Amino acid sequence: MTAFFRPSEYHRPNNLSEAAQLLSNFGKKAKLIAGGTDLLVTKPPEVECLIDVANLDLNYIRKDDDGIKIGAATTVDVIESSEILSSGPYVVLSEAAGVMATPAVRNMATIGGNICNASPAADLSLALMVLDSTAKVAGQGESRILPISDIFEDVNKTTLKEDELLVEIHIPLVTRTTGASFIKLRHHQTSVDIAIVNVAARLTCSKDHCEDVRIALGAVAKKPVYAKKAEKFLIGKRLDAELIQESAEAAAGESKPIDDVRASAGYRKKMVPILVKRALEDCVRRCGTWQK
Amino acid sequence: MAKINLNISVNGRRYQLAVEPYETLLDVLRNRLGLTGTKMGCGSGECGACTVNINGWAILSCLTLAVQTDGKEIQTIEGLQKRPDELHPLQEAFVKHAAVQCGYCTPGMIMASKAILDHNPNPSEDAVRKGLSGNLCRCTGYDRQVKAVLEAARTIRKAQHE
Ligand SMILES: Cc1cc2nc3c(=O)[nH]c(=O)nc-3n(C[C@H](O)[C@H](O)[C@H](O)COP(=O)(O)OP(=O)(O)OC[C@H]3O[C@@H](n4cnc5c(N)ncnc54)[C@H](O)[C@@H]3O)c2cc1C
Repeated sequence: MTAFFRPSEYHRPNNLSEAAQLLSNFGKKAKLIAGGTDLLVTKPPEVECLIDVANLDLNYIRKDDDGIKIGAATTVDVIESSEILSSGPYVVLSEAAGVMATPAVRNMATIGGNICNASPAADLSLALMVLDSTAKVAGQGESRILPISDIFEDVNKTTLKEDELLVEIHIPLVTRTTGASFIKLRHHQTSVDIAIVNVAARLTCSKDHCEDVRIALGAVAKKPVYAKKAEKFLIGKRLDAELIQESAEAAAGESKPIDDVRASAGYRKKMVPILVKRALEDCVRRCGTWQK
Repeated sequence: MAKINLNISVNGRRYQLAVEPYETLLDVLRNRLGLTGTKMGCGSGECGACTVNINGWAILSCLTLAVQTDGKEIQTIEGLQKRPDELHPLQEAFVKHAAVQCGYCTPGMIMASKAILDHNPNPSEDAVRKGLSGNLCRCTGYDRQVKAVLEAARTIRKAQHE
């Protein structure tokens, strides 16, 4: 066996059961391919069989009484410009899509690939986490539904079984006064830089009280994580500058960043409270301007 | 598994090929079809030198497998000119503004520009800068290209009104 990326098989199944069958037949030697913008950069040499999701009809964004449903093969540019995601707290997802990678990469990259690549810095994953999204996963048996954050196991590793693929993301409808925000810190030298730290937050308020809150942190742990202590600080309390500052500092305490080419662990840890504070302030502002 | 049959249209011409699953669109364009205008830069999606258009959208041919483009319409820099002796308004404007020095990034830059103008015939300067943000140039800078794209947009709009 050579150490090059030399898959000898390529399949483009026409339905989910065919896809699950192929995944199960080829086991560890198989890899799903969507936009290929992660897979063809890493080019894993052990892959012998590529299974393309292009013909599975997973390219859609729909909204009904039940919520917003996004097919796993929907591209990032479609999410960025989606009318459905252009207002309310859902903008957190289109905003994350808008600052991800370059225009050409966005035309290729899919939301399913962003999630299933399981990068700790994945932009869309964070936005989905604060919207309490769930993922529908299908394999040879019954399909199952799990919270987005339960897909992540470790760096570039998901909890999906060998025969499973991500099919759809479901975002529940938000009916109360809610604001959400996404902030990405990067070098800005070129638009390809992935995050040094990224933060998403979602705040549901009644008058000036916090009813519910979600804060998700990226690039500071082995997977995207919720800042649970920081969230606890806010729930049920009256929102003011001091409380937001305390919550932001709690989030820093929950982050466990590492040094890498993009930044040092120390710098990342210093940036967490600043970004969380800004994201929460954004949420508060947006709570005020958006009703139902 | 044997090679995989591929039917694609490149610059309006139909091709039927048998390709390996791992061959990129860039490999096929350059090595099989002899269309060497499209360049290999970083090979990892960061520089934009390999940009071509598929069904009117800019994509990176180094990160696209040829097998993924079955049934699609591909346009490369070689397909811009209607006649050999007549440059496309984008090419014209790039020459006029000296938006080309070494020229290595130019085919990708022009194809990204083409996609911008195909979707928005009257882009703002900001829209052009954002649209070209995935195309790196290490010698010319970026100002001249932006001016060239804005001028090409005016030329194309004028031609359409006439
Ligand atoms: C230049 C460049 C810049 C980038 N910048 C950013 C950035 O700023 N932010 C960011 O978050 N990412 C960035 N990325 C990473 C990448 O573009 C995204 O993660 C993208 O969303 C991946 O989607 P894809 O469809 O291309 O995935 P692919 O490469 O096709 O697949 C990625 C992984 O997911 C698996 N997979 C795909 N679809 C499914 C499915 N339906 N079910 C189960 N598994 C599946 C594949 O098997 C593979 O392991 C960048 C990449 C490049 C090349």
